Amino acid sequence: MLIIAPYAQKLRNGKENAKNYPYWAEVIKGINDDIVQVGITGEIPLVDDCRFNLSINELRTLINDCTTWISVDSMFQHLAWDCNKKGIVLFSQSDPAIFGHDSNINLLKNKLYLRQNQFLWWEDVDAIEDSYFEPDKIIKHIDQFY
Amino acid sequence: MGLIRILCSVATRGRYFSTLPLVLTAIANQSIRPDKLIIYDDNDEPQDLRNEPIYQHIFSMLDSKGIHWEWQYTDKKGQHHIHQRANTLGFDWVWRVDDDAIPDSNALENLMQYIDADVGAIGGSIITHQAINTIESTGLIENIDNEPHPQWGFIREPKEVQHLHCSFLYRAGVYDYNLGLSRVAHREETLFTYGLHQKGYKLLIVPNAITWHFKNPQGGIRSETNQSMYKHDEQIFRNFMTYKDHTIVILNCGMGDHIVFSHVLPFIKNPIVFSCYPEIVPGLSISDAYLNFRDLDHWNIYKKMDQWQWQDSLENAFRKLYLC
Repeated sequence: MLIIAPYAQKLRNGKENAKNYPYWAEVIKGINDDIVQVGITGEIPLVDDCRFNLSINELRTLINDCTTWISVDSMFQHLAWDCNKKGIVLFSQSDPAIFGHDSNINLLKNKLYLRQNQFLWWEDVDAIEDSYFEPDKIIKHIDQFY
Repeated sequence: MGLIRILCSVATRGRYFSTLPLVLTAIANQSIRPDKLIIYDDNDEPQDLRNEPIYQHIFSMLDSKGIHWEWQYTDKKGQHHIHQRANTLGFDWVWRVDDDAIPDSNALENLMQYIDADVGAIGGSIITHQAINTIESTGLIENIDNEPHPQWGFIREPKEVQHLHCSFLYRAGVYDYNLGLSRVAHREETLFTYGLHQKGYKLLIVPNAITWHFKNPQGGIRSETNQSMYKHDEQIFRNFMTYKDHTIVILNCGMGDHIVFSHVLPFIKNPIVFSCYPEIVPGLSISDAYLNFRDLDHWNIYKKMDQWQWQDSLENAFRKLYLC
């Protein structure tokens, strides 16, 4: 079983979080495993098995049972790191050198897209279409877990 | 001066034509010059003094002696905001001098002699009229209500204390002033210097660095009479003292940040934790933290990383904030 955590925290101004990865459908198509999506109520379901609003302990149990996971730069990647479960983190404008963990596969397309100040709110950050890792390249990284 | 860059900061209010000219003259006459002098003007009705004869002389004297100076008009929030501005300007050390405190000409030089890697701040004698006998004074924070501060007497030999008073030389950018204090900023230097002490730095009082504190009854940065401000600030100070033997940890941040922090927590000495997500890091609530300390920016890991121009991991940023 593979876990996906497709969405970062909702922003207070209602804007789409620039951390969110826009090509999940293509990535999901390339995964040959049962997929469980985690998140919170209100997020768009991308697979049949969505488990929203799990407690931290429930998430830990799920992480311990999975083969691997894919997440945007959100709380989930830190929790999986805390559980010693290796997975893939999709970065775009946040810096994996600061917010990533060496034990994970941190996919950053190009450092040029890193936002200049890494520490300000995300409410003012616009998504950059070209900043996201290509789906087919992500699939290749997933394959190494199987 | 070597590689150490020293800023002299003077916060002033209501003393244009009384003690401030004396202070600036004393700074101009230091045996070692600071790299920069900034006068922070917190007056309710600020003036441009460049056409005032006495200031024309003072500014010319500063220029002639090669002291780079700047006059900044501030926003009347109190001297703690001014000191924090000086604290974060990028200098290595800041020599803060009150606008009614007249340093002897060798004060800065003698304070500087005690700069060392493990020293956070250095103060000399602060004398008002006559020195008092402070031989018995310990300078420990626990005795603050029961003894005169050891700086109020002539200091005969270097001594380590836990808090400093009035004017002193301090290592910049290590600890923040509490901006939750009211405009009178009662206890601001005690909270600040004790914070340096808690960070593991020595606070020293040293001989031959005398400042004459005129305690000018007119003007002054603390010239507010509203007692509720003093009461408000005293309560913040007392709350800090409640936790003085702890490392105060305030996690006013996201869930992921809490998870990362949890890897640092075991290394923190005697922590008292205030947490947004007690299911991840158990602790008291953030509203409790706010009620106790008012200003939580000191523990804001994102503000700190921004201030440090951080490029290392989030986990190491927490280590720097709580372990260094």
